[in-house]
Amino acid sequence: MTGQPYEGRPQDMPVKAELPRLRVEYVKDSRLAFLGHLDLIATVERCIRRARLPFSIGNGFARRLRIQFTQALPVGASSSCEYFDLRLTEPIEAEEALERLRRATPPALAPSRAAYVPGRLPALEAWLDRSTWELEALAAPYDARDAERGVREVLERGELTYLRGEKEKRVDVAATLAGFEARDVEGGVAMTLDTRLSGCALRPQVLLDAVADVLGTGRPRALRVRRTAQAHEENGRLVEPFGPFDQTGGTPLS
Amino acid sequence: MRAKRENLFHLLEPLLPQVEHPARYLDHEWGSVQDQEGPFHLCMVYADVYEVGQPNLGVAILYNQVNEQEGMSCERCYLPWKDMAELMRGSGVPLLSLEGAAPLASFDAIGFTLAHELIATNVLEALDLAGIALTSAERDEDDPIILAGGPSAWNCEPLADVFDAVLLGDGEESIVEVCACIRDARAEGVPRAEVLRRLARVPGTYVPSLYEVRVDEGATRWGRAVPRAGEDVPQVVLKRCVNDFAATPPVAQRIVPYMGIVQDRLSLEVLRGCARGCRFCQAGMTYRPVRERPAEQVVSASVEGLLASGHNEISLTSLSTTDHSQCARILNDMNEALDGKGIRVSIPSQRLDSFGVEMAAAVAGGKRGGLTFAPEAGSQRLRDVINKNVSEEDLERAARNAFEGGWRRMKLYFMMGLPTETDEDVVGIARMAERVLEIGREVVGRGPKSGVSVSISVAVLVPKAYTAFQWAGQLHPDEVRRRQQLLLSEIRDRAIRVSYHDADVSLVEGALSKMGRAGFALVRRAWELGCSFDAWTSEFRFDLWCRAAEELGLDLADVACEEFPLSAALPWDHTSPGVSKGFLQREWLRAVEGVTTPDCTRESCVGCGVCPALHVRNVIQGVRS
Ligand code: SF4
Repeated sequence: MTGQPYEGRPQDMPVKAELPRLRVEYVKDSRLAFLGHLDLIATVERCIRRARLPFSIGNGFARRLRIQFTQALPVGASSSCEYFDLRLTEPIEAEEALERLRRATPPALAPSRAAYVPGRLPALEAWLDRSTWELEALAAPYDARDAERGVREVLERGELTYLRGEKEKRVDVAATLAGFEARDVEGGVAMTLDTRLSGCALRPQVLLDAVADVLGTGRPRALRVRRTAQAHEENGRLVEPFGPFDQTGGTPLS
Repeated sequence: MRAKRENLFHLLEPLLPQVEHPARYLDHEWGSVQDQEGPFHLCMVYADVYEVGQPNLGVAILYNQVNEQEGMSCERCYLPWKDMAELMRGSGVPLLSLEGAAPLASFDAIGFTLAHELIATNVLEALDLAGIALTSAERDEDDPIILAGGPSAWNCEPLADVFDAVLLGDGEESIVEVCACIRDARAEGVPRAEVLRRLARVPGTYVPSLYEVRVDEGATRWGRAVPRAGEDVPQVVLKRCVNDFAATPPVAQRIVPYMGIVQDRLSLEVLRGCARGCRFCQAGMTYRPVRERPAEQVVSASVEGLLASGHNEISLTSLSTTDHSQCARILNDMNEALDGKGIRVSIPSQRLDSFGVEMAAAVAGGKRGGLTFAPEAGSQRLRDVINKNVSEEDLERAARNAFEGGWRRMKLYFMMGLPTETDEDVVGIARMAERVLEIGREVVGRGPKSGVSVSISVAVLVPKAYTAFQWAGQLHPDEVRRRQQLLLSEIRDRAIRVSYHDADVSLVEGALSKMGRAGFALVRRAWELGCSFDAWTSEFRFDLWCRAAEELGLDLADVACEEFPLSAALPWDHTSPGVSKGFLQREWLRAVEGVTTPDCTRESCVGCGVCPALHVRNVIQGVRS
């Protein structure tokens, strides 16, 4: 993925690569799990302005902050590990930036870590291509073994289609499903799901709906979804969001 | 019965995955007051969805004001959208406040903001969802006291049966007095009826149940409201007015919403009131006198407010921002202070002259979207009738300046059904649009690539209480349609687009504006038949409104189009914004003769009566041009 032209939105383009690039990890907790992606973006931007970080403004018409986000979470899913990359006009201590952000952010979106990352890393949204999800199916009409069998069957079919609004979406399960484990817990089934970004994203809810279909059971009363890790996959190795971005790992630096 | 105060968010949460825009129900926004200790609890309700209600400045002002008081708390509540309301009813969840997720029925008082007439059915919907009786008369001893206020409290008669008390005029002081009155009366354990009597003694507070409607000689068929026998209440309740407006906190919005809302920006009220005296405009009469904030305050409060909220846009709001005597200086200083911060400044509407265009350019930065002007009428004669003091030359110069300044799209607002309007005036709208288009082509050039276009938007006049046109009848819908056709047939250039405001909606507004207290039966029946969210074009059900009227033996057009004699006692004469009825009568007579009346912030007093009645005056920081 080195050197290829960037295909995202213009305001996310890593122009001004020399500007300090601060990566911030934050949570998306409790009721804010129901905040949609666009609302989240606007909210984070306001937190940054309130924190008075020396943010850089894009050249575009809309004069937006130079900021990138990770892949959108499904509405209703919480997370312990969301990220944004913010371009600053001057480097300030990462710890100080974190502290200022913390004071200006609602607790349910609290930032947890901040560090500078190499300016020439690819856009965050495409770069973080692996996610780990903890799922909890409450009052599931199947147990852990059934769930694993169901996932195997969905995987064998190779492709999964579902409707999103009016649009039919096709997910390549073989390419996007990187791991699945289930265990019985009190009140339902707990699952760990690993997904890989490849074309249309595999949403946990969509996978479990398909599982219920192949098993011929109903759906659980409720499904709790939490993203617990994101990483970048490089030649079969996982690079953590904050690195190390060593050369041997093959992570592109320019 | 008063419901128990408890946090019921756990009942709402399971419904969130099932509704559109769950962010409407999340609360916990930055700047919201989460500490709601009370012991006195008020809940402000804007009876529409979150994204429509949250930008409302009135709610924000009163929210801050009450929360700052020792021993008083104020929460917010918006009406759930239909999907959520259905789920809540299905699972027995009552309407909850945002901050404490407490049942509305557990509050000491509930305050409705009446932002416009079409919110009426939503008020009933909110009370019903809350499990609170719809009318004051049906409420139990310890039910919450239901209050109302806001721009549409002027002629709130169609909802008079609903409210226990209505706050007229500026609410920032009176809301605290009203809450204190309720708190003290409740502490003494006086009966509900006595609580209401005491409320009637708080200046500016109208308690409808203490008045009865009498249909007698000298009144219209809707009667007049007079104090009930034995009740010691004023014949006419005068509004409240904060004269030292600059002493009130300039930035009212402290809550930063999570979800995109209708006006997703910080707003700052730079001045209150407007004295231009347009004869159709209710706000122009009910918000007098004019009170400006000083320029330094506007600029420094804007900068502080933006830093505290994180917004990237600020709107300088008022009825006529470009009339502020220091407008140019404010915009200039704002641009300087905010340079390089990626912040947009906006002003709500343009004054129809070169100065207006200059100011629009000052806030536009490099951006040139459409520019909006409101000539309101198509001929000079008719503009004189409505006292819209702009001339043909003003308009032409403004249009020329705008095209020269880089704008290409011009939007013109007009009204149809103005008193004395003739076909010639209607045709005048087309001629004016053509003239503006022609000026654009002269400046920018001809040919489709020039991008010059004019769109005209035409609304039907709804004669409103407390305006010079309050005696006029609305134009009959058949005649509206004929004049609309006439206008369409006169427009020949394809670069001119015409749109009409929904005449059915105006008819309902018009009927409710005329009927006084009898309007409640209509509102209630319409709501029972399923009307709500009437201000949403997707939800407005004219058929149901017609059916409701029919069941009551009424015809909407008949009601709305009725003219009242100039001498008649009107259904709303017992409440007053301070503008005297005599002044409005004079204005009506001058209108018919086409005589204009000047603006008292530019020339001398024209005797509307507000200043002596309320012991206030215009507060102008500089000199108005
Ligand atoms: S009383 Fe006179 S000065 Fe005061 S608002 Fe009315 S017209 Fe203007």
